[in-house]
Amino acid sequence: MAKPKIAIFDFACCEGCQLQIVNLEEEILSLLGVADVVEWREAMSEKSDEYDIAIIEGSITRMEDEERLKRIRGCAKVLIALGACAMTGGVNKLKNNFEDFEEVKKCVYGKAAGKPHLRTAVTKAVGEVVQVDYAVPGCPIDGKEFTYIVRSLLMGKKPEIPDYPVCVECKANGNPCLWQYDQVCLGPIIRAGCGARCPSNGFRCFGCRGYVDNPNVDAAKDVINRFGLNLDDLKTKMVLFGSKQEPTIYE
Amino acid sequence: MSVKEIAKNDFTRFVGTLIRTEKVFGVQAKGDRFDFAPLESAQDLRLDYDVTLQPPKKYFLPPAEVLLTYQVGGPYQSQLDGQEFILLGVHPYDMVAINQMDELFQQDNYDTHYMTRRHNATIIACDVAKPSDHVFASSMGTAVVKKGYDILLTDIGDSFVAEAATPKGEQLLAKAKGAAADAQALKKREDIWARNKKSLNKHELKCDPAYLPKVLAKAYKHPVWEEKAKTCFSCGSCNQVCPTCYCFNVQDDVNWDLKTGQRLREWDGCLLDGFTKVAPAHEFRKARADRFRHRLYRKATYVPQKLGGQIACVGCGRCVGACLPDIANPVNIYNRLIDDLGIG
Amino acid sequence: MCQCCAEKKDIYLPQLATVADISQMNVTEKYLRLALEDGQFDFIPGQFVEVSLSGIGEAPITISSSPTLGDSFELVVRKVGRVSSAIHNLQRGDKVGIRGPLGRGVYPVEECKGKNLVFICGGIGMVPQRSFIKYVLDNRNDYGDVAILQGTKSYDLRLFTSEIEAWGKRGDVQMLETLDEGDARWKGNVGVVTKLVSKVETDLKSAMILVCGPPIMYKFVLMALAEHEVSHQNIFLNLERKMKCGVGKCGHCQINNAYVCMSGPVFRYSDLASLPEAI
Repeated sequence: MAKPKIAIFDFACCEGCQLQIVNLEEEILSLLGVADVVEWREAMSEKSDEYDIAIIEGSITRMEDEERLKRIRGCAKVLIALGACAMTGGVNKLKNNFEDFEEVKKCVYGKAAGKPHLRTAVTKAVGEVVQVDYAVPGCPIDGKEFTYIVRSLLMGKKPEIPDYPVCVECKANGNPCLWQYDQVCLGPIIRAGCGARCPSNGFRCFGCRGYVDNPNVDAAKDVINRFGLNLDDLKTKMVLFGSKQEPTIYE
Repeated sequence: MSVKEIAKNDFTRFVGTLIRTEKVFGVQAKGDRFDFAPLESAQDLRLDYDVTLQPPKKYFLPPAEVLLTYQVGGPYQSQLDGQEFILLGVHPYDMVAINQMDELFQQDNYDTHYMTRRHNATIIACDVAKPSDHVFASSMGTAVVKKGYDILLTDIGDSFVAEAATPKGEQLLAKAKGAAADAQALKKREDIWARNKKSLNKHELKCDPAYLPKVLAKAYKHPVWEEKAKTCFSCGSCNQVCPTCYCFNVQDDVNWDLKTGQRLREWDGCLLDGFTKVAPAHEFRKARADRFRHRLYRKATYVPQKLGGQIACVGCGRCVGACLPDIANPVNIYNRLIDDLGIG
Repeated sequence: MCQCCAEKKDIYLPQLATVADISQMNVTEKYLRLALEDGQFDFIPGQFVEVSLSGIGEAPITISSSPTLGDSFELVVRKVGRVSSAIHNLQRGDKVGIRGPLGRGVYPVEECKGKNLVFICGGIGMVPQRSFIKYVLDNRNDYGDVAILQGTKSYDLRLFTSEIEAWGKRGDVQMLETLDEGDARWKGNVGVVTKLVSKVETDLKSAMILVCGPPIMYKFVLMALAEHEVSHQNIFLNLERKMKCGVGKCGHCQINNAYVCMSGPVFRYSDLASLPEAI
């Protein structure tokens, strides 16, 4: 069987997810043993329009990006959304909380706000523009999970991504609950698969992997009340990765 | 079998000897809590702990383990964990849980993966010196334990009473300096057992645990399941920290050559969404409340049927502390049912 | 290391079997016949095997052939998940892993002897039932009247059509078939399988009723059988659940306290009274 061709593209993002792939080091060589990477701006200069698997990093924030993404989709047999920006819109969707984008631009870019390359539109996740076959959650992605997903696809198998919350992995790692240490951790409603990396290192879950399929919003409200917090306290924690995403507990 | 009295400093030396010659996992501080971890120094051992974050179950049924390796399209190979080890500081309620797991993994179909680890272990149990915030072992009859361990330690002040219960324990205990425990030391130990039988009881079950199956027999449609499950995250924390939960998932992964790989067993939890899903349209225990009820029935009806009536909750209280919405406490639920339905 | 365990059988270790035959039955179903490398394979109708595709995973699949087939056995697999999709890509000569036969709740092969039998099958419910049907037909003199009721969603999803036709022509089997959706190519009954119950010529009250179909079907079939006052002792249901280990450990297949992999997959209906999660 011929090696499948993989191309990696970036849109609006920090390119940190690609960096996670670069950081795989020896495993990249293993990957190259079983697949050909034909385009990857962050790591090589070649370009190609022929590929089986397109890996898309970043969210879609400009009209011209939509066109580019659709072209890529047209060439790819399989399209993978890589990381929070591509999968859910991620941090970039913070912008969607505002109505006047010109104001937002002025606040962010100051005098440069009028420059043509800073045109901006409503942020979309990749899946809001084209069909996504698989998604790798996280900001940034977890290298181990990424390689598992790639190997699964090369085996012709749909990868198994958890639909249970981060607490499962957090407890399996033997951590105490960070809520008992005054941290507003989003673990109970956020999809696992990261190995509970943040809580295992003493930081609350920021929710970068997105919600589980069926988060219990009632439970979240109950916990907030019991800890003497209010909805705003939680809202400020969820806005970073949870802006304009279902479900919200904004109401 | 011998019962020795070992002075505390001699005990520390004994542990030091063990560490030099064997792989030892012992209870240590983890922040302001405690957990089992590889023991590097006798000074790190904390037998005055209240409860460990995780039960010692992980040394027999690890969160993830390789069951088999294989060649794709070719033969499979069993993978058994060969390392012998000493597990130091197991509390009685956790020992009871291990005894239950031993039975469950041996009955019907003998699980060689679990049992290999179990046979590789030498367990040094120790009586509870300080009750944890949520322990209710006294209620469950698990505050003291009489079998399963190789050595049982009891802190009687300036020294430990150490009793060997197996040839393996006897052999190990021979390395410790100390005379046969005298009547006074044994009396002190009796007093501690008597004390623990009463005092490990931060939550008090309103009936003898033996009645719980009878209570549950009437409780299947009780409103408590819906009420509690309303704020259940289905996060499975109660499952993950439980010393008697043993449900697991099995998954395959391949190596980068795509020709060889492993079959992995990982902890699962009956509270988790999708635990019973066979296809997108078929999930048999889909309602949160049904999953919530299932756990409480497993502990006090279903698993006991496999254990000659023993209740499969040992009163460690870990789920109480691990449940963020504070709905997991089995005593609260069982007491509520006892109040509403009686025990007859 | 503990030697006693190394010498014991590993309950999770599959043995290799070769795909002796494989063919597409319809859009979603694949037929395969497997032969174990070390030959002998004894099972009772109703038992299942865990089929392993290394690198993909394992799936429980009920055996569709009769033990009378000899040293190979047949499976029919619907493409729904990871493993079943991969099974669909197998070719003759490929190797798969097999654990089993598993399940202690089997068809009441002995108890049914001398009695009238009614098989009620919905969709691929025929697949596991076929094991017992073929066994009965291979030992036809041991059993009384035999009626087989098959309901299928649509014409193109029908399974084992030539076998069903042959059973209908035998003369000693009452073969009734229906489609949920009518079709120009179909001249027979239209409607759900429960509608066929009243057409059974044998006395239902004294018959052994064997049921297998999608979860939703059981409720309606049981209602229909209640109208005919069939004793719950005489009804056997083949229940599907998620299974992982197949050996009574992993917990996924539990119906209340019953592990389907151990007590099932075939249950006597009267035994299900204490299992509210069953139907």
